[in-house]
Amino acid sequence: MSSPYESLEKSILSGDTEAGTAEAVRLITRGIDPLLLFSESIEPLLDDIGQKFSRLEIFLPEMVNASKVVKAIHKAIQPHLTADQTTKSKGKIIIATVSGDLHDIGKNIVKAMLEVNGFEVHDLGVDASTQTIVKQAKEFDADIIALSALMLPSLPFVQDVIEFMESSPSTKVIVGGGPVSNEWADEHGADGYGDNAIDAVALVKELLSN
Amino acid sequence: MRHTTRLLDIIERSLSGPLMEEEDFNDQHVTQGLSRVVKKYDIQINQDQIINQDDALADRVWEAAVDFLAECGVYCQTTNRVIKFSVQEIKDILKYAPDRVRVGAGTDAVEEYARNVEDSRRPLLMGSSIGTPIEDEFFVPSMISYIQEPEVDVTMAPTLTNIYGYDIRTRSPLEILSSWREVELTLESMRRAGRPGMAFTGVGSSISDIGQLSADGPGGLRQTDLHTFGIISELKTNFEILNKLTHILMRDGVVDPYANPIYGGLGGGMDGQAVLITAAMIALNVFFMATCVGTSPTHPFNFNDTGKELLISSGLSFQALARNSHLMTNLTNTPVGGPGTKTLLYECVALTVMMTVSGGSRILGPRSATGSITGHFSGLEARFTGELLSAASKISRSQAEEIVQKAYKKYENDLTQKPYGKHFKDVYDLKTIQPTAEWQGMYDDVKNEVAKWGLSFD
Repeated sequence: MSSPYESLEKSILSGDTEAGTAEAVRLITRGIDPLLLFSESIEPLLDDIGQKFSRLEIFLPEMVNASKVVKAIHKAIQPHLTADQTTKSKGKIIIATVSGDLHDIGKNIVKAMLEVNGFEVHDLGVDASTQTIVKQAKEFDADIIALSALMLPSLPFVQDVIEFMESSPSTKVIVGGGPVSNEWADEHGADGYGDNAIDAVALVKELLSN
Repeated sequence: MRHTTRLLDIIERSLSGPLMEEEDFNDQHVTQGLSRVVKKYDIQINQDQIINQDDALADRVWEAAVDFLAECGVYCQTTNRVIKFSVQEIKDILKYAPDRVRVGAGTDAVEEYARNVEDSRRPLLMGSSIGTPIEDEFFVPSMISYIQEPEVDVTMAPTLTNIYGYDIRTRSPLEILSSWREVELTLESMRRAGRPGMAFTGVGSSISDIGQLSADGPGGLRQTDLHTFGIISELKTNFEILNKLTHILMRDGVVDPYANPIYGGLGGGMDGQAVLITAAMIALNVFFMATCVGTSPTHPFNFNDTGKELLISSGLSFQALARNSHLMTNLTNTPVGGPGTKTLLYECVALTVMMTVSGGSRILGPRSATGSITGHFSGLEARFTGELLSAASKISRSQAEEIVQKAYKKYENDLTQKPYGKHFKDVYDLKTIQPTAEWQGMYDDVKNEVAKWGLSFD
């Protein structure tokens, strides 16, 4: 017997937003609990997509497209939810490449991996000023600020954000990129370091579970 | 030079090209564009073979790259516009691309030239850590360890970890100071090693236009040096990059930029990556008037380019470029292994042999330990690379395939373990600037082993 979610999962995998949202709404209006829809189908599927990307069996565009479909599903099913059925994100994350650094694909890979793992990510892009990062983190009520710096002369700007956020200990600051390391993160007061996108997801999960 | 007359045209197109959101450019132009041409030109890669042996496939990659680039264009982040050239314009421009250039001065000058697939002429070696961080005190001895090697033709500086004890900060006076310090120490290293006219690429310590431009002029980077900048992945620019380009052209310097596509990113797998590398190298000449065009494709998790996927796609791309243009192409060797490990040396074998038989004009590096670990590089791996360039110039692609497969088997399981090795000070005697007995012994062992595989170091 085929899974009731087969068509939905096919749409997510192929990045078909229209078909994915229509199928999700159809399933809910036919009586499937939205929370079960996520826990039984969408979340395991996204986890699988993240795992496949970490083995490079699929690539960034497929992962981003799947994530876009799921975001659209979230939005489309809102009118069909009761007050106790709201789906919660696993955590809110601000992500940015810091001032003076224009590398964005590494950051985009981390962003996509976080999104497919169920985190709500607000992307400030590249060359983001300290002021912008700090302000947006407060407005977004971020649990975590994830900073990318691929060039040594950009590291002082990471340090600036860490110092700014010392007064907001509930928001964790994590770092990644070529010139940083576990040692650098420890020495400079960051809450964690991710060597790559796979590490970053594990780190975020660990920080938010504490 | 006769190919550097398009500056105002490029600026004009960056101000008048189609407006577009960057995310749409990534998705519609790059990802969908690559997917289209991969299908249209039937780009199918044999994943069991590292070095492409199929000329027709290399030619299809070339056709796909030109088609893709003409449709995709280059995105200007400053103006949110797409700079475009038609297929015919691209082909017309490439006719006038330079096929040779003399760099350096006096008796240290060397000539770089376009090479063919299986060309018997040795490619050039830019022996350098390619911008890997280093403490001020080790800057000069580490650079001498490269420059003193007769195999090294041109060089590039490492990056200072700080300037006079201060952290270097982009777009600040400290960045300008570090740019000047980099040039000052590089010139001193070349004088001390007895090769004062050797060309070097700069300015590596600077990211911003103001940092680079400040040290690119009288007393700093010379006209006979290589003037570098990177474009933004994938196929993007901004006015800071165009400022650098404009300054280099006004100085009549050798334009030596690079583009580093990320494997598994917007280009997807090996097929898309091969087309993307090819298109990016063409774009460096067409859109940025490069004299020489460079790349260091990057693995998204290991940050190297010596894994099988990138050896395959880079080699195919270099063959496409060598067979269909006279562009002078260069590849940065970014291994995972660091000094004091045999992993590094086996990675050098695989990538250097692959690039040599695939028609590259110059190899850069090795940027040992992925270029991210302070001080983890040394001149010995550059000596080995130079010897490999000469040896690999005498063999065919099929012979190269056997050797590269053997080398790859030696290190494939090490890539995720990241054996970053040791700091320069721990693998070299700082007084004599010679490798320690242990490091020299590893080099001797691997060289002897590789000679038995069929590479002649005579």
